[in-house]
Amino acid sequence: MTLIVSDRHLEVPEIQRAAIEFIDLSKLKIANCVGCFGCWTKTPGKCVIRDDAVQVYPRIAASDRLMYVSRVRYGSYDTIMKTMLERAIPVQQAFIRLHHGETHHFQRDVAPKEAIIVGYGDLSAEEQDIFRQLIARNANNMNFTQYRVVFAQEQDLEQTVRNEVLTWERS
Amino acid sequence: MGKILIINGSPRAPKSNSKQYAALFSKACSWESHYRDLTRANHLELCQAADEVSDVLFVFPLYADGIPVTLLNFLKTWEEYGSRQKPTVSVLINCGFLEAEQNNVAVKMMELYCRENGLPFGSVLKIGGGEAILSTPFRILVQAKIKKLARAIVRQENRTFQVTMPLSKKMFLNASTSYWIRYGERHGITREQMASMQIEP
Ligand SMILES: Cc1cc2nc3c(=O)[nH]c(=O)nc-3n(C[C@H](O)[C@H](O)[C@H](O)COP(=O)(O)O)c2cc1C
Repeated sequence: MTLIVSDRHLEVPEIQRAAIEFIDLSKLKIANCVGCFGCWTKTPGKCVIRDDAVQVYPRIAASDRLMYVSRVRYGSYDTIMKTMLERAIPVQQAFIRLHHGETHHFQRDVAPKEAIIVGYGDLSAEEQDIFRQLIARNANNMNFTQYRVVFAQEQDLEQTVRNEVLTWERS
Repeated sequence: MGKILIINGSPRAPKSNSKQYAALFSKACSWESHYRDLTRANHLELCQAADEVSDVLFVFPLYADGIPVTLLNFLKTWEEYGSRQKPTVSVLINCGFLEAEQNNVAVKMMELYCRENGLPFGSVLKIGGGEAILSTPFRILVQAKIKKLARAIVRQENRTFQVTMPLSKKMFLNASTSYWIRYGERHGITREQMASMQIEP
């Protein structure tokens, strides 16, 4: 399954043509994770907060091609995307294993992913560099087998996403 | 003499590990300190309080390899508010995994934030195994590093410290597995249930 999760509306006709699921987080109601660990220790695999996030993380888990589109702030995903990613920890178990020589959680039924991360905004080289380091860390925790980080100015974002979707269609 | 505002940026601040780290810091620090949980409703109040101090210490957990969104939201408000006092910002971060270095990216984000906002950056303590370390004998290692952090802040130094459980990775895996099994048992959930592969079953 191919999935795009974006923090804003995108006008990309290619998404409609291709077999791509598109989730616009800005249209959803998603509260922030409260760190209760209920999804690991009370109702394993299920978040106790029953808002729109519970529709999203199963789709993220099922995807084998995944694109995140997010504004970047301080080298981080901005708050809309970050809120969702924090709410996605039900896809992992509490239990920890060694992965690439570091301690990381066991995943539940999470498909290995080819990921494209599109970070947008007016970003300095340093901010881009920190964001790249963040994604390299995410790759270990989010089951990315391959990933690419792409940057765009906001006004070029739709074109950038369109180009990336076309690379998917060609592969 | 300086004055420190300690802001707990954990989404579960009242019951957090960060709260305990902050309490250890207050005890170790010779300066006057004020502790506050970050809530959705007190951003403005904390922005104002930060104008009354020489230093701010953010105490928070690593979340999804970065700064928890609770704290990101505050940072955005603080930027908009525009700090007048420009206090020195220090960081006490903890993460669940064994390697304290997993906190590095979040620390870089905090440094970048400070630079973008003209806030001097102070010192850092990165804690690994932070979910459980305080309930182990290694608590004293954390206390010692928190003392060093407090001293560095008072001396207005730029220092970075880190601490974790001095265990082999294998021992840490075993210890963390027991920790989480006990956690589940308190809710009547077995190890097998916790290890379920299903998502939203
Ligand atoms: C949503 C969420 C995401 C987390 N992400 C990470 C992570 O990326 N790396 C890590 O080592 N620990 C991670 N943790 C574990 C916390 O950092 C750890 O449990 C910490 O001790 C919590 O501190 P607190 O009690 O002060 O909130 C995460 C916990 C939650 C709830």
